Amino acid sequence: MENVLSILFCLSLFYLSVTSRVKAYVTVLRVQGIILTILLVIPFLSHFSVYGIIIPATMLIVKVIYIPRYINKVILDLDIKRRIEPTIQQMVFLALVIATIVIIFFASQLLSKSTPLNVIPFASGFSAIAIGIYIIMFRKKLIVHVCGFLVLENGIFLFGTSVAFELPMLIELGTLLDVFVVVFLMGIALNRISSTFEGFEVAHLGRLKD
Amino acid sequence: MIELFIFIALPVFASALCFAVKNLKVQYALSLTVAVFHLTLSVIVFLGVHQAVLPGFFSIDSLSKLFILILSNVYFWVVLVSFSYLKRPAMPKAGEGKRYYFLLLNFYLAANSAAMLSNHFGMYWVASEATTLSVAPLIYFYRNEESLEAMWKYLFLVSIGIAFAFMGILMLTLSAKGTVLEGQQLFFWEFIKNAKELNPIWLKVSFIFIFVGLSTKIGIAPMHSADIDATSNAPGPVAALMSGSLRLTALLGVMRIFQIVRFTSSYDVVRIILITGALLSLFVAFVYMFKANNFQRMLAYSSVEHLGLITLGLGIGGFAFIGAMYHAVYNSMSKVVLFIGSGNIHRAFKTREMSKISSVLNKVPKTGWLFLTAFFAISGIPPFGMFFSEIKIFEGILFSDMPYILAPVMFFLLFIFVNMGRNIFSMLYGKRENGEVHNETEPFDFSHFVSVALLILLTAIAISSPDILYQNILVIAKDFGFAL
Amino acid sequence: MGLGLLQGIVSVLVVLGLSPLFAGLVNKLKAILTGRIGAPLLQPYYEMQRLFRKETINAIGSSFISRISPLVNLVTMIIAAAMLPVGFWKPVISFDGDIILFAYILGLSRFFQILAAMDIGSSFEGMGAAREATFALFAEPIFFFSFGSISFISGYTSLYMILHSIQHQNISYEVFIVICSISVFMLAVTECSRMPVDDPNTHLELTMIHEVMILDNSGLDLFLYQYSGYIKLFIYAILEISFFYPFSGQGYLLGIIIFITGSLVLATALGVVETIASRYKMKNIPQYLLFATAIGILNLLIYTFTR
Repeated sequence: MENVLSILFCLSLFYLSVTSRVKAYVTVLRVQGIILTILLVIPFLSHFSVYGIIIPATMLIVKVIYIPRYINKVILDLDIKRRIEPTIQQMVFLALVIATIVIIFFASQLLSKSTPLNVIPFASGFSAIAIGIYIIMFRKKLIVHVCGFLVLENGIFLFGTSVAFELPMLIELGTLLDVFVVVFLMGIALNRISSTFEGFEVAHLGRLKD
Repeated sequence: MIELFIFIALPVFASALCFAVKNLKVQYALSLTVAVFHLTLSVIVFLGVHQAVLPGFFSIDSLSKLFILILSNVYFWVVLVSFSYLKRPAMPKAGEGKRYYFLLLNFYLAANSAAMLSNHFGMYWVASEATTLSVAPLIYFYRNEESLEAMWKYLFLVSIGIAFAFMGILMLTLSAKGTVLEGQQLFFWEFIKNAKELNPIWLKVSFIFIFVGLSTKIGIAPMHSADIDATSNAPGPVAALMSGSLRLTALLGVMRIFQIVRFTSSYDVVRIILITGALLSLFVAFVYMFKANNFQRMLAYSSVEHLGLITLGLGIGGFAFIGAMYHAVYNSMSKVVLFIGSGNIHRAFKTREMSKISSVLNKVPKTGWLFLTAFFAISGIPPFGMFFSEIKIFEGILFSDMPYILAPVMFFLLFIFVNMGRNIFSMLYGKRENGEVHNETEPFDFSHFVSVALLILLTAIAISSPDILYQNILVIAKDFGFAL
Repeated sequence: MGLGLLQGIVSVLVVLGLSPLFAGLVNKLKAILTGRIGAPLLQPYYEMQRLFRKETINAIGSSFISRISPLVNLVTMIIAAAMLPVGFWKPVISFDGDIILFAYILGLSRFFQILAAMDIGSSFEGMGAAREATFALFAEPIFFFSFGSISFISGYTSLYMILHSIQHQNISYEVFIVICSISVFMLAVTECSRMPVDDPNTHLELTMIHEVMILDNSGLDLFLYQYSGYIKLFIYAILEISFFYPFSGQGYLLGIIIFITGSLVLATALGVVETIASRYKMKNIPQYLLFATAIGILNLLIYTFTR
């Protein structure tokens, strides 16, 4: 089941690399949030505990409901155009993504020989991290950068589940809260940027140079 | 328990109160009280008068004892000077920034203390991310385009860096697979105790991820750019806070993982990584100083240089390690004086471009002299502390297994000193071609008092060299396995 | 043996007979979804009947290629149909490695179609041929990645054996079903020139891919082309449905039920996709195909790591 979900996660990454709409990014973020929530819920199906359901619930609220809604609100408020405006051709980007994912899968296969680990979630998480960075590198819009950052965070989360290690609940909640506040601050900053520079692209951020 | 209350909960309460109370004076008084409590407690803990026992994910060892003392010292002076800074008729749009200033400052203190006292990697991560979040709005204090850009870049790059550090932490759990630590919590001391059993490949990967990720926050080259932008556009006290304590918080994370690696076979590789990063930082600062134009940016690069030196001390070990610890102490204090001075100069000249600044000594003489003195302090001129700590680092390098590193280090430091000196002297003494110079008097302000106090403190510590500090640093060195 | 052959022949006949019905079903569903009454379900049959009665006219400059190409098209389709397992019946042609034959027999039909289009010498048709060739280049890996990986897990290289040897118990099979069906669906849409890639209804030469190649054919030739087009669509539909056979637990009746419901569901899916999707820009099509290829690659990766 974990494998199936990770593969779906990978599919969402492929979709991210072909779509050219900002809204689609938000939808993918929502889907990824749902996938991660299900991943968290699975262990509780066998032995249910009220205490342990807090983290999946927070996850659901933060990653599936609140953050996408907030990003949508920012998009709506700032009247951001729906094209993502890539800096390289989508084809090249997709090819790059495919190559990266293949390399990561093979590399993690090699690594799994020395350490027992769950290859598919591990590699999927790692791929998401790489693709999050690609999105930040090859897109002009700042709101898309925020989405890329969130993809990266989701990747780290998936990666964490593959390591089969549980952080204490307090800390897990703390990480979620941190991510949430980061996005919140970024939204505020974007708001300011749009009113100060009249645009939301990286090109506007070129004042600070050595 | 009471320690945890004062170190972390009290600042949180204070920031909540700052949210409720709109009066700036009340906020200031509140923050200052918190700072005093914090400072008192950290001094008490440092002196060993009171043995602190912290619950849960927190604990105090000699390293966090030293670092939290540095933090509360820097924080205290910064808060002290903040009010006079806020009172000024500053930028027109900064009014909104003032309202949240103390709130964020208090929150920063809470987060930073939590990061320094944590004994769990997860807790450390959460807290250090929180420090980023609290500092980012402070960078945007002036509400102008540059600071907005700086805030965005800082927030974004450091968040990504911290995300990488989190991956590093996950890798660390992977390295524990198949050992007694498997499935255990990520407590520092347990990892240190069982360091030899960890899987060396994952440990190395983990170190690289944590080091590279936290480099964005420490400001080690090549990940220094966001940190430089942030420090150079933040208001003076915030820049002082960042250079003096925030960078050390991030360094603490690197030191924790380094402490684990220290006792394993991966130590040699990791050392090389640390030394490379440090030399690269020195090199970057060296190159920048030739073309420096913005003086606060120059100071930010000076921070890169000094954090590079501290990292170098870590990597070399032995005497250099002790020097590095001293360096951290002295650097934090000198940076506060420098940034406060730079804030004053910025206020007087309304610009940060050095080509437009001249005759500082005539226009704001007190600030000018203090700035000059602080420059001497940061450059390692005796009797200021930096001299002794740098000597220790050099000594450590000379007697280590790679003494040849000393040559480039000295070369870089010499040119950094020369170029920085050239720039600062032209700022202080240089005259406009057609401008007439009036000797103006500057009222003795709170910031001057703080600068003088800090400079005296700096010299006093350096000259008297308190035994308690030395003993504490020795214990840290022993924890890191550097027997002397 | 005798019964097996009979079953095979019956299944070929089923494919040949029902394929226009399937196309009609898709068109009908599409019409309903867009709020029209639409042509009757059997409209393809009527059209074929009409074309069959018409006179065949060939372009002046065309050579024998144009004449044999329609027939080759139909024959290759029939051969391909003869290799497909319909329900649980063993197909007529089935041997080790027949997936490769299957892929290239479909390729052969395309090859002749492209040749014929160029043979006529019209620049429009040449353009269509060029497009078809380009997109075929991108489409081929999709087939091999998805079927290659599925043949790896089953350990067989014959279509019939692959689809009938897979046990439902294999945990990773659900993943395969999801992913293979997505990529094969995208492949089918491309190969049969359906909506997001090509619009079967448009006759604007600038945007056409498949239809433009048969502009100059008429009468019996056009009948053959159209008929082989219907068969092709149905072949891909069956391919897609056959991924779900393992759920039948090897029961004949269940297999046939899955076949019928699968066809209906797939027709609906095609109808829905054609209703909601708009046609891609020509330059975005390779990207779409590369996306499908990426999914296929993912398939292969999963196989490699779940062994």
